Amino acid sequence: MKKLFTALAVSLAGFTGTATIAGSYPDRPVMMMVSYGAGGATDFQARIVTMTAGNDDALGMPIAIINKPGAGGRVGWNWFATEADKDGYTLAAYNIPHFIAQSIKGGVDFSTDSFEPIANWGADPAVFIVGKDSAFNSMADVVAFAKENPGKLTFSGAGLFVGHHIAALQIEKAAGVKMAYIPTKGGGSAAMKSVIAGDVLGGVNNLSDAYRAAQAGSIKILGVADLERNVFLPDVPTMMEQGLDVDNASVNFRGVMVPKGTPQNIIDKLAIIMPEMFKHKKVAGKMKQGGSPMYIMTRDEVIAMWAARQATLEELLKGL
Amino acid sequence: MNYLQHRISSGIICAVAIWVCWISFTQKPAEAFLFPRIIAVFFLLLALWTFAKAMLGRSKVGNGLSMAAAKNLAPGVAITGIYIFWAAKTLGFYTASIFAFFILLSLYDPSPNTEFRIWMKRGLITAAFIAIMYALFAVVLKVYTPRGMFI
Amino acid sequence: MEFIYYFGEVFTPISMLLLIGGTIGGLILGATPGLSPTMAVALLIPFTFQLTPVHGLILLGAAYTSTVAGGAVSAILLKIPGAPANIATTLDGHAMALKGEGAKALQLSFISSLFGGIFGVLLLIFLTPVLAEWALAFGPPHLFWLAILGVTVIGSLESNSVVKGLLSGCIGMWLATIGFDDMLGVKRFVFHSSLGGGVNIIPALIGLFAIPQVITMFAKGRFDQDTSRIEVKKHPVGAAFKEVFKRKRALGIGTIIGSIIGLIPGVGGQIAGLVAYDQAKKFSPEKAKFGTGHSEGVIAAEAANNAMVGPSLVPLLTLSIPGSPTAAVLLGGLLIHGIFPGVDLFQNYPEVVWPFINSMLIGQVLMCIFGIYIASFAARVAQVPKSVMAATVLGLALFGSYAVQQSMGDVYVMAVLGGMMYFLERFGFSAAPLVLGLILGPIAESNFVQGSMIANAQDGPMIYFFSGTLNIALIAVVVLSVGYSAWSEITSRKVV
Repeated sequence: MKKLFTALAVSLAGFTGTATIAGSYPDRPVMMMVSYGAGGATDFQARIVTMTAGNDDALGMPIAIINKPGAGGRVGWNWFATEADKDGYTLAAYNIPHFIAQSIKGGVDFSTDSFEPIANWGADPAVFIVGKDSAFNSMADVVAFAKENPGKLTFSGAGLFVGHHIAALQIEKAAGVKMAYIPTKGGGSAAMKSVIAGDVLGGVNNLSDAYRAAQAGSIKILGVADLERNVFLPDVPTMMEQGLDVDNASVNFRGVMVPKGTPQNIIDKLAIIMPEMFKHKKVAGKMKQGGSPMYIMTRDEVIAMWAARQATLEELLKGL
Repeated sequence: MNYLQHRISSGIICAVAIWVCWISFTQKPAEAFLFPRIIAVFFLLLALWTFAKAMLGRSKVGNGLSMAAAKNLAPGVAITGIYIFWAAKTLGFYTASIFAFFILLSLYDPSPNTEFRIWMKRGLITAAFIAIMYALFAVVLKVYTPRGMFI
Repeated sequence: MEFIYYFGEVFTPISMLLLIGGTIGGLILGATPGLSPTMAVALLIPFTFQLTPVHGLILLGAAYTSTVAGGAVSAILLKIPGAPANIATTLDGHAMALKGEGAKALQLSFISSLFGGIFGVLLLIFLTPVLAEWALAFGPPHLFWLAILGVTVIGSLESNSVVKGLLSGCIGMWLATIGFDDMLGVKRFVFHSSLGGGVNIIPALIGLFAIPQVITMFAKGRFDQDTSRIEVKKHPVGAAFKEVFKRKRALGIGTIIGSIIGLIPGVGGQIAGLVAYDQAKKFSPEKAKFGTGHSEGVIAAEAANNAMVGPSLVPLLTLSIPGSPTAAVLLGGLLIHGIFPGVDLFQNYPEVVWPFINSMLIGQVLMCIFGIYIASFAARVAQVPKSVMAATVLGLALFGSYAVQQSMGDVYVMAVLGGMMYFLERFGFSAAPLVLGLILGPIAESNFVQGSMIANAQDGPMIYFFSGTLNIALIAVVVLSVGYSAWSEITSRKVV
């Protein structure tokens, strides 16, 4: 039966003119591009969720992570949209809302039309953090300070038009205040360093990184920019609970995508395998250990989510 | 000391510096080009200084390129160019490396080209090199290099 | 003294096997032109999946220390630094090799690496809490001044023409601005799609150092007239130890500067060797000998770039902030094994962290022993025919520059920069200041822009960049460094 199926697949592949045969795919290691540096949250999670790829019930071939960091992810995604091979052996991690916001803002060669989502593995809300000795103990303190000192409250984030920046814009808009958002070079860990060191008064950061830093006692987390409280931080209220109308537009969804033009049969195969691979208990265990919230979505769900984000972000970024 | 060559080279550098300045001061948005502007100004000043000294015949370091050296390096550089900019991607890294390595070895090896033994030796060294590269990159480090038409 | 208790964990058969394997592998990878420590560690991470956390970290730690030291091998014998950290080693190390003292230079470099490395790890063991506070004191304005201080080093790297040295530095800084601007995400100077990712430091380093060497070998032609083979002198190891300890000044300066610079997050170990080299030269009574194959140059540079290894892990282990690109990769390795750096790391995971640190201590010793053994092969490298050497280096340059990010764009950038550098070298320019510009440009820019943004929200740039003890101290060092260079320039009536 399996033979017959393979033969069918071969003839089908020949028929449609695609050279790659999904049946034998993958017959060599697959590469996955992460557009942030090694050791960052996206890189770390990408390495965990792909660690079981070599198992027979998954791809049967390992996935190697390649980092192409720079300019808040633009360098990597630009490369992925323009130069990556469309053979199914080149995958990439996506970060929503980052790449959609950047494509709306312009100056890049990618948009949601350049990529085909495969599956989503995680959702990492943005949180507002301050140093451990900070006088701020709630978002109300932050807003009150910002009202008294317009434009003087410095707070860091991983760059412009990334999830942190979107959260920053939403907080400013909801509170009706002007604050000084300081984008850092070097991603979330550099933004975290500036908060711990007191270079800035506060910051927006990933929940997963902030959770670890808070556990280590170097920062305080004041609010979560999501619709509900997070399981990792049951004591930290959401922005909405603190009277700030901030929804989940800035939640950092991470998942896997391929460039547009990749053979449909490979996309379909990956779309079936990947969500199952993410559910592996070894993956779930490591992710939990790292304070990284998982949120598995199938290809169809991700397509819908991308479209919804596109609309929300266009609305939010219209005035800028 | 080859003054003509110094004048031409420093002239080219000056032209690049002027171009960098032009781009830095005309492109938008201005905030993104603040730092390039600062560098471009220093770049241009230093390039002009070097150019002026070359024109006055006062360059004191660098011997330029002699005709003999240019003739010697031309075939090697040509092979290198074809190897890196065309063959590596089109033929595959390993195939291209076999050709490039063997040709370069034969071009620059002083041993006589008439003996079969010498050609054998060159072939063996090439095979050894490719084997080591394959072992290091493909087997140990698991780096997938472009395969092109071959591997 | 808790750490001594955990030495037992290092001396188990499996640990020792990993340690020895990691050290030898690291030395070879580090010595291969085109493979950097960051890459070696990154490529090793998947291997550690199969190991327990302790064993995985021992392997990574051994590889980290030994690749940094191994980079000196190609720097000395071929004038191709294995990593940015080894650039300063090429200056005197290669000059020594040309004099037939390659074996001696290698011995000196491994012995000073051992000394610097042990000192650095001891700092990590005993002073971590204090040093962590220290590392955090460096904010954007201070990092900006530190980058400027790095630029002033150019004056002493380029001994023939200061103007051409500075011009090389400017070219490097300009090259660094190519690609997407990191803060605002705007494309700058991208006139070919290969440049979209900018000029990455490792491919650039390979191109700027390796390609000119290859072309130089081509230029000598098939029938090289200058066949006077370098006669490689044997050098007893004992004499090398004596030499290192005779040069206390260079050793001390290298070790101290390496430790301090390694500690500062964001600057990384990339410039430790260069700054130490510069300071050793300024304090030496034999300044004129630097650049001609002087042992102090090698000792200061190599002591510094291994001394930086230990302290660079301080911000990583206590605050989860990687101080260098390699430390960032190590952080990934730690996280995957479920170890989350933080102030209480040493309380929560003593059974993992201490063996890791101890293994770096033992790793330094193993690195020195195997390194000195490798040094005895220096003569063989010098005897490899030019044609074989040129073709081999070229092949490694192609594979190495591709492997960093699996990008053909990087390969093209490597080749173009390399070809350009060969011709620039004919006219008195040199690669070291250019690479220094390439490294420091982005550090200076991002901290300047970020600092200005913070300053504008607070008291303005003048106060932000020019007040505070640390700012003033750094500015004073910059002024002294420039003043000293200018003064020695005038008094020695060098070509300006």
